Amino acid sequence: MEIPLNESAPLAVELRGITKRFPGVVANKDIELRVRRGEVHAIVGENGAGKSTLMKTLYGMHRPDEGQILLDGKPATFRSPADAIAAGIGMVHQHFMLADNFTVLENVVLGSEPTKGGRLDRGAARSRIQEISDNYALGLDPDSLVEDLGVGDRQRVEIAKVLYRGATTLILDEPTAVLVPQEVDELFGNLAELKREGLTVIFISHKLDEVRKVADSITVIRRGTTVGTADPRTTSAKELAEMMVGAELPVAATRESTVREAPVLRMRGVTVTAAVAGGRSVVDDVTLTVREGEVVGIAGVEGNGQAELVDAIMGLRPLAAGELRLGDEDIAQWSTRRRREGGIGFVPEDRHRQGMLLDAPLWENRILGHQTRPPAVKGFFIDRRAARADTARIMREYDVRAPGPDTAAVALSGGNQQKLIVGREMSAHPRLLVAAHPTRGVDVGAQAGIWELLKDARAEGMGILLVSADLDELISLSDTLHVMLRGALVATLDPRRVTPEELGGHMTGAVRGDDSAGAA
Amino acid sequence: MKAAALLLAGSMALAACASDETDADAGAGDGGSAAGEELMVGLAYDTGGRGDKSFNDSAYAGVEAAIEEMGGEVQELSPNDDGSDRAELLTQLAEQGYDPVIGVGFAYGEIIGDIAAEYPETTFAVVDSSVAEMGAENLTGLLFAEEEGSFLAGAAAALKSETDHIGFVGGVENPLIQKFEAGYVAGARAVNPDITIDTQYISPAGDFSGFGDPARGQIVAQGMFDAGADIVYHAAGGSGQGVFEAAADSGGRAIGVDSDQYETVGDPALQAVIMTSMLKRVDNAVESFITDYSEGAVEGGQDIINDLSTDGVGLSTSGGQIDDIQTQIDEYRQQIIDGEIEVPTVP
Amino acid sequence: MTGLRRLGLSLMAPAIAVVVALALSAAVIALIGQNPATAVRVMFDFGDSPAQQTQAIVVVLNRAVPLFLAGLAVSVAFRMGLFNIGVEGQYRIATVLAAGAGAAVALPGPLHLLLIVVVAMVVGAFWAGIVAVLKVTRGVSEVISSIMLNFIALGLASYLLTGPLRGSPEGASIITTSPIPESGWFPGLNGVLTGLGLAEPRSELYGFLVVAVVVGIAVAVLVKRTRFGFDLRATGMSPSAATASGVDARRMVLKAMLISGAIAGLIGMPDLLGEARSYNTEFTAGLGFLGIAVALLGRNSPLGIAFGALLFAFLDRAAIPLQFADIPASVVTIIQGTIVLAVVIANEIARRVTRQQAERGSAVAPPTTGDGSTGGEQGPGDGPPPDVGPTTGTGTGVGVRNANGEPGRTDSRQGAGA
Repeated sequence: MEIPLNESAPLAVELRGITKRFPGVVANKDIELRVRRGEVHAIVGENGAGKSTLMKTLYGMHRPDEGQILLDGKPATFRSPADAIAAGIGMVHQHFMLADNFTVLENVVLGSEPTKGGRLDRGAARSRIQEISDNYALGLDPDSLVEDLGVGDRQRVEIAKVLYRGATTLILDEPTAVLVPQEVDELFGNLAELKREGLTVIFISHKLDEVRKVADSITVIRRGTTVGTADPRTTSAKELAEMMVGAELPVAATRESTVREAPVLRMRGVTVTAAVAGGRSVVDDVTLTVREGEVVGIAGVEGNGQAELVDAIMGLRPLAAGELRLGDEDIAQWSTRRRREGGIGFVPEDRHRQGMLLDAPLWENRILGHQTRPPAVKGFFIDRRAARADTARIMREYDVRAPGPDTAAVALSGGNQQKLIVGREMSAHPRLLVAAHPTRGVDVGAQAGIWELLKDARAEGMGILLVSADLDELISLSDTLHVMLRGALVATLDPRRVTPEELGGHMTGAVRGDDSAGAA
Repeated sequence: MKAAALLLAGSMALAACASDETDADAGAGDGGSAAGEELMVGLAYDTGGRGDKSFNDSAYAGVEAAIEEMGGEVQELSPNDDGSDRAELLTQLAEQGYDPVIGVGFAYGEIIGDIAAEYPETTFAVVDSSVAEMGAENLTGLLFAEEEGSFLAGAAAALKSETDHIGFVGGVENPLIQKFEAGYVAGARAVNPDITIDTQYISPAGDFSGFGDPARGQIVAQGMFDAGADIVYHAAGGSGQGVFEAAADSGGRAIGVDSDQYETVGDPALQAVIMTSMLKRVDNAVESFITDYSEGAVEGGQDIINDLSTDGVGLSTSGGQIDDIQTQIDEYRQQIIDGEIEVPTVP
Repeated sequence: MTGLRRLGLSLMAPAIAVVVALALSAAVIALIGQNPATAVRVMFDFGDSPAQQTQAIVVVLNRAVPLFLAGLAVSVAFRMGLFNIGVEGQYRIATVLAAGAGAAVALPGPLHLLLIVVVAMVVGAFWAGIVAVLKVTRGVSEVISSIMLNFIALGLASYLLTGPLRGSPEGASIITTSPIPESGWFPGLNGVLTGLGLAEPRSELYGFLVVAVVVGIAVAVLVKRTRFGFDLRATGMSPSAATASGVDARRMVLKAMLISGAIAGLIGMPDLLGEARSYNTEFTAGLGFLGIAVALLGRNSPLGIAFGALLFAFLDRAAIPLQFADIPASVVTIIQGTIVLAVVIANEIARRVTRQQAERGSAVAPPTTGDGSTGGEQGPGDGPPPDVGPTTGTGTGVGVRNANGEPGRTDSRQGAGA
């Protein structure tokens, strides 16, 4: 699978034997990376494999203990990101760092403003940004407000920001994690432009299909070290995945329908309005039913009311109208706690914001959301011993890798945090599980594990409402699939027949109506 | 040393019980016998401590003058910020053998009686608090007729006012400061019964921030000047600075308090607006108390009232702004001393 | 192991801070031309005779009791990220009303005491409750409203003292309420001291010390061991996560402020029932603000607050011997200030170090898995913006944040992991 390197041209970026140790752990060991000028080079690996450490090394956020960085064949030393930027390396972070209430222009120049007589020289900035936008077909309007932009546009602003600072090598950290398929295609188009202009792109991802589509060459990282390079044209996604995890993968097996008659969640005409007075409907007249043993998927471009729908079910937002029933009971007026006690489990979309207490130990996180129920609680008091014991059980049964129940949650990787959350919610045996983006930001291994858990729970008769941006996940897990657009359910699709592309079309509103075999 | 101190203190106590004639003699004799002894004065300040350019400094000046005269040393102690350790200050001074022990400020009045009873060999004094009813023979109250001095201040203000509108800014609305107000109002009305007098306090009783808040002092005084007053008298400690600034900003004038603030304010611009100051001669009172003590002439168990007749209070003349009305002021002064005018102590 | 290390770290931080602060203070003392060693010796000089030494201990303890209660009151609100600056006003108004109530009735001993204490707690809770209600119903920042209510409380206390509750005669230089009859006096603890073989001190050791200890233990249990305490801390650590877990943020604000205020109501009790017997214009002021410093010093844990209160009380007493040694008393204020500053900084550093270690520490665990690296890919330390989000600052009092759990939810994609 080795790609013959063109030895005549110096490599844009070369890492030789990079080793980075943290107290008690080797995060990167003998990393070898060769990126040619003008190519899109993908770095793939599970979360926690050491990609971030590597990128931080390359971006000057810390210095390697051993090894060499060569840029265009010359050794380079970075003391800070400023050094890296000066050397032409730019980073587009996974989470955008834009000020919403600033214009594109202001965001792009923020931190390196051109000044004329001590004042921001808007004219110079505008023409420079326009030039960048035209050269690389970014299609940016310097004067539009960032808060009015979609996700794809925001990402292009980030790219423009990096280019504005004169980057010739761009590092993109999981750039597709937040994009729908159409936006991904646009991004890949932009990358091709960059490449055409002679820029080099380092693309970090664990979405193997995408990597194969866009990359010219691939380096795989596993457990802190590079395990090889691959040619995307000749390597299958499965082979790549196995290189990443170092073992054969479980295949997402097809399964029998376990859907039963009894509904666990019935929503009729549920409407939620924005918090501001007289706000528009962010959830608009949603009617859906989740039955026992059924996974109901909600697809949609983020920001189309899924989060608000979830909040409404959890009691975190009041209903403006409509009916909400858990089993036979009307729960519209119930508090969040009562809903949870009544049998709703919750895997929130943002586990740091809603799912965990990062500074608290795992056993306290075990209690979170279950403050009124055994085993963690005895009457008015917290039962620390039982909470610890049950946390240990969850860690065992749900494969949460951590030193022990007293470890702080922040010490866990995203996947392990998520497994703890899923394990915690499952342990209460809810009738309904509301799972929002349950595998977002977790590695392939954990993702498979979480899928298995959801399937098992479904088989046992749990109803699951699955909100996700991962279309493969939605299609492979759901029994029924709804598409949400501008707060309303606009289509109901049969997950056995729909393709990600079709689904994407519905999500952006390009395609209308249910498919012929709608499973409503 | 200790024995001598005991002897001294013991004879003081004896002296206090004996009749005037003999105790003066005994005290004097005792002072003589203790000639080799250093005078050891304990001085416990009010919150703010030394360097307040006012009350505490004035007390220190009195002690200093006494020591210059007679020799000896002084131990000063300042309380903590909230004044909760005042009792501890006095007991420590007494325990370390300081004698006399002087508490500066009426806040000591609450506790000094108990401590005087615990240390009967030590002579205590408290500034601004009455001890006459406590029955402690080794305790003297050093009081001031602030209302008399304030009367003259009020009279001066009324005589000099061109708008027939004057003001009074009190630091904290407690009985002591109300005495200033009462005298001031009475003095002004004595000159001009129809004069308009604005009175306002910076903070309510129990909240001592009003003595150290120049910003609020300025706001309050500015309000009075804006309303038409042309002379404002303050009894607000450190907040008075703000009153002076307000006067300077509005082209008005102000009357200082306690010490001759014309001399202490430091800023020529502010100096110009200080028409006079109501002097409260804590230094004189403290000095004469210490002198009495060293001569064995402290009676104990009663209050020494420093009023106009003893020059314990009065008006300063630095700057010469009230020279033209000096005769009228002197007339009022004499009338008060003679008892022809009775100055109220509550507004 | 981890727990032990974390405990070690959490104790290390304040200890180092105190040492640093003392070093700074020593430098200041040296700068003003005094010998720091002398200063230290003087500060620890508790007197020559046994009676003086016990007296010194009593003075420290008597000062520490109200400081401890003030720190506790502040800490309960801090725990859920509420900054109760109103403790000052809460205890002042509570004390004046309790003094008034105590003087107005004559009941058998324990009942009389109970009445006074209950009045104080109810008034304190009520005053803090106003802040909570304003926050919950109108979204008023508790910082602003509690500062405003401090002014109102001081004015109201003054009005009550000089008006309806005035007990002292006209013209007295100190205005007091009527004294509480003897049945409402809290028995002192000097019997215990002499029972321990210590010399009889001059002042009475406040019996309220016992109540303070009980309250401290109760708060510790409440916060650390109960469901309520869990909800409280969860809200403090992450309002959004707490809300999602079923905590009713509004009700928690109300409850936390009521408890904080009730404890604040006790602050004046040691002095009132043990010594002063009445509220007066000279009643110790500023304890509520000192309580904030003490709570910071004690990192909001009752044990830490007890240490903080004792340290402050010790330094306070040291001001007197220092002055005898001709070292200005302001040295004490400097030491107190530097200690608080140093502790706040040290706590923040310790928190970051702990967090970094924790983030890296995950790598130590399972060498057989793919998680063997930084483990920080999802961690909040991943992106350049330092984590100043709602999940931080539990120990430092930056907890001025929206407890309703909806801190400006803009772009959920940006919010993720930030």
